[in-house]
Amino acid sequence: MEMFVALKVIWAVLLGVLLTGLAVMVGMDMGVGSMLRFVGRNDAERRVALNIIGPHWDGNQVWFILGGGAIFAAFPTLYATSFSVFYVVMILLLFSMIMRPVAFEYRSKVPGDKWRGTWDWAFLISGALPMIIYGAAFGNVMEGVGFHYSWTGQYFQDESFLSYLLNPFAVMCGVLSLALSLYQGGTMLMLRGEEPIYGRARGFAIGGALVAALLFAAGGFWIAHLNGYAFSAPVDPNMPPTPLTGQSVVVQPGAWMNNYHRYPVLWVLPALGLLGMLGGAAMAALRKPIIGWWLGAIAWIGVIFTTGASMFPFLMPSSSNPDQSLTVWNATGSEYNLGWMLFFALLFTPIIIAYTSWCFYVMRGKVRIGDITKNTHGY
Amino acid sequence: MGKIFKLLGLALVLALGIGLAVVAGDYGPWYFAWLVGTTMIVLIAAAGAVLFDTQEAATSGEA
Amino acid sequence: MPLIDPSVVDLSRMQFALTALYHFLFVPLTLGMTFILAAMETVYVITGKAIYKEMTQFWGKLFGINFAIGVATGLTMEFEFGTNWSMFSHFVGDVFGTPLAIEGLMAFFMESTFVGLMFFGWDRLSKPGHLAITYLTALGSNLSALWILIANGFMQNPQGASFDPVTMRMQFTSFLGLVFSPDAQAKFVHTSIAGFVAGAMFIMGISAFYLLRRQHVALAARSFRMAALFGVISSMAVVTLGDALGRLDYLVQPTKIAAIEGLWQDSNAHSTVAAAPWLLFALPNDATQSNSFEIGVPYLLTPLVTHSENQVIPGLITQERMAGPRILDGIKAVNALQAFGARHDAADLAAFQASEGNMGYGFLAQRNAPNQDLKLITPANQDAIVAQTERDIVPNVFVTFWSFRLMMFLGFYFVALFAFASYYSLRNELMKHPWLLKATMWSIPLPIMATEFGWITAEAGRQPWSVFGWLPTFQAASSHPVGYMIFSLIGFALLYSSFIAAELYLMFKFARLGPQPHHDAPEEPGMSPMFARAAE
Repeated sequence: MEMFVALKVIWAVLLGVLLTGLAVMVGMDMGVGSMLRFVGRNDAERRVALNIIGPHWDGNQVWFILGGGAIFAAFPTLYATSFSVFYVVMILLLFSMIMRPVAFEYRSKVPGDKWRGTWDWAFLISGALPMIIYGAAFGNVMEGVGFHYSWTGQYFQDESFLSYLLNPFAVMCGVLSLALSLYQGGTMLMLRGEEPIYGRARGFAIGGALVAALLFAAGGFWIAHLNGYAFSAPVDPNMPPTPLTGQSVVVQPGAWMNNYHRYPVLWVLPALGLLGMLGGAAMAALRKPIIGWWLGAIAWIGVIFTTGASMFPFLMPSSSNPDQSLTVWNATGSEYNLGWMLFFALLFTPIIIAYTSWCFYVMRGKVRIGDITKNTHGY
Repeated sequence: MGKIFKLLGLALVLALGIGLAVVAGDYGPWYFAWLVGTTMIVLIAAAGAVLFDTQEAATSGEA
Repeated sequence: MPLIDPSVVDLSRMQFALTALYHFLFVPLTLGMTFILAAMETVYVITGKAIYKEMTQFWGKLFGINFAIGVATGLTMEFEFGTNWSMFSHFVGDVFGTPLAIEGLMAFFMESTFVGLMFFGWDRLSKPGHLAITYLTALGSNLSALWILIANGFMQNPQGASFDPVTMRMQFTSFLGLVFSPDAQAKFVHTSIAGFVAGAMFIMGISAFYLLRRQHVALAARSFRMAALFGVISSMAVVTLGDALGRLDYLVQPTKIAAIEGLWQDSNAHSTVAAAPWLLFALPNDATQSNSFEIGVPYLLTPLVTHSENQVIPGLITQERMAGPRILDGIKAVNALQAFGARHDAADLAAFQASEGNMGYGFLAQRNAPNQDLKLITPANQDAIVAQTERDIVPNVFVTFWSFRLMMFLGFYFVALFAFASYYSLRNELMKHPWLLKATMWSIPLPIMATEFGWITAEAGRQPWSVFGWLPTFQAASSHPVGYMIFSLIGFALLYSSFIAAELYLMFKFARLGPQPHHDAPEEPGMSPMFARAAE
């Protein structure tokens, strides 16, 4: 295999890793944010929940920023097109995301029910909305998006934003994503919280995991009948990365199952997803939040890589001009760039994992209501 | 044993520092200036605080 | 191909400028305060005196209020390239996106992970351990700035990439060329140190407020001393680096330096090169391409900008005339490129490559071509289009001239203020000079304003280019309908104004409140505080 093709495939896998890391780490905090008003019935309880993720939310959020940066660099055309085509939801995502850091830092700085109550609503919005949009983006991409390119490489949108806002399959994917984040956040609150937060979080974890399992299975059947995309002529994976020329694509119902028919071993991925969700629900029920948390991560790996394996090598198919669909072969950066990016990813990922784990280790242990009222530099 | 590791760690940090300074000095004179300058600014600010404490001790000693 | 709507481009520019300027209200304090916090904590760890821990925690609290919005609004910046500048992202993503991704990996992770420990880890880490965390947070936030400014340096002076006619974009060719670009270097140091000045002024100003009211004197006098010394060196360094940047602009962005200096005619047009005046005050008029009124200091301009006595600085009108042939050649380049894209013919490629260096000027002419189509340029309308495009290469001179001057005057004011402040603080005579304390207190917002003017100088002066010489801003925006832009602008306006209200409310509240006594018992100065475990 040529070096460039290898780099393209590696970056496609890394894209999956990044999207998974983002989903697990940011999703956990978003889950806590969404259930904050319900697991904490008074101010002290809510502060406990916030302080459980307090030392980590900022570091976790970098997954989100890194995701944006890595797509920008490794898949410039994908970044340029997807962010612009989904403008309305991207801006909504941004609005809800930027509320969150401010909510963390400001909520508990001032006493008063009105002030804190307002920020608690901000947590609910900035937790639930981004997760729904995140999942819905996957759903929309799988269905194909209406866009084409002019000769300069500038994109043009061919459908109204309403078509991706009100797409039923995408909405289902969004709810799946929200359910997984509630499950992940629930296990985290069980890990470092005590009763009564523990019990309520346990309910959310079990419920989230079961709903996710149901929707994931339903989604699988739906996909089998959905329009998929496939190459109608062989494509050179080593092609220069541009969507303007070089491929012909057809729309076929059920094409998203082609990879599974060709390589049955891929069925491991959806199985992993279901195992994570059902096993996670069981572990939460058995009060084993650590295993539950890790099973939540496995569930995300299953869901995202199931999607990726089903679409590969497509990244964002175009429903209005399928020949200009974005794929792993035609949407990446240059070989030189992918090489340098890989070097930095290999250099820094172990370091990041090391200090992130160390940070969780330092802040380990239960957060109690007493700690919150005594400590002046918490949330 | 612990001491040896500490010394080795320190030696590694120093070696990295020198390596970084050589590369920065060669290719990026302004980057080098930032490294040296920021260190200096922080140390001078810290020295100013220590001087403050000394001055305060001297005045309260006279009084 | 649908036409580019100029009002969408303008609204996109407005949104980017507003969100960037807003983001940068918070960044300088982060860059500077982290290092001052680190200096304070260093003194605490070395001397073991509790007052320095109190200082670190008190200023740390104000830092946190500021940091949160800095992080939040930074998210917008990372996404806006994709949401609003799709052609830019496509055109340079291969080289411009890389520093942003590395920023995430190397700097942002570090800063964000450790800032959590900095606030929450006081009771869980040893003293040197916590100090190391504070330094890592400071280093991380400044490394963030480094990678962002490397990316910005590429827009000012594209180095380390070349245009590829097959993929229709700039492709990354030299990592070292990108990272060690002189523009990136000087910009990073200038911006980071400008943040140091802002942080120092903030701490010094609030300390002055306490000193004036004789409150928290032990904390305020020490903080004032540290911030004054921190600021006096930083403010001098900022001026030095500003000069370096000006000289760089003279070499690689002649339109920007001419706009900064309000130079319509060549520098030797009215007097000798050596005697050319540096304008202290002028009213540049972009419509007539001349200054309505000017007061200059003779003999200053040439040595200041060129660091020599005899190099001529070309005026904007000369530069417009020199651009004419480049525009004509650029039109040929773009037409050849389009033909090559359609047919992949070697002759088209050869024709493109002969004029490749002027491609950007061809794109620039597109705006003035009939139907925005360069192929519709005929010998009959060619001269009018070229003449129109020539004038397009000039940035808004009034804005560039004045934002630069305001920044520069403020810079010199900071040097003077910090010098007085350091002098009287070192002599412990601050209380005898309430005018100085008052001036310091009222100067808190000025360094932040100066950094905003700096951004305007750099980015307004870069126009009409988005990537200097290669991609005009007009071409760079996403092809949105106007409605999208109105939707997002209204949202940003509502959200951002409520944030700033909350931030100012909290800042004033906690600054007025001052440091609060802690629950921990006052600690004994131990025998060797360096190695005492933090059990307090």
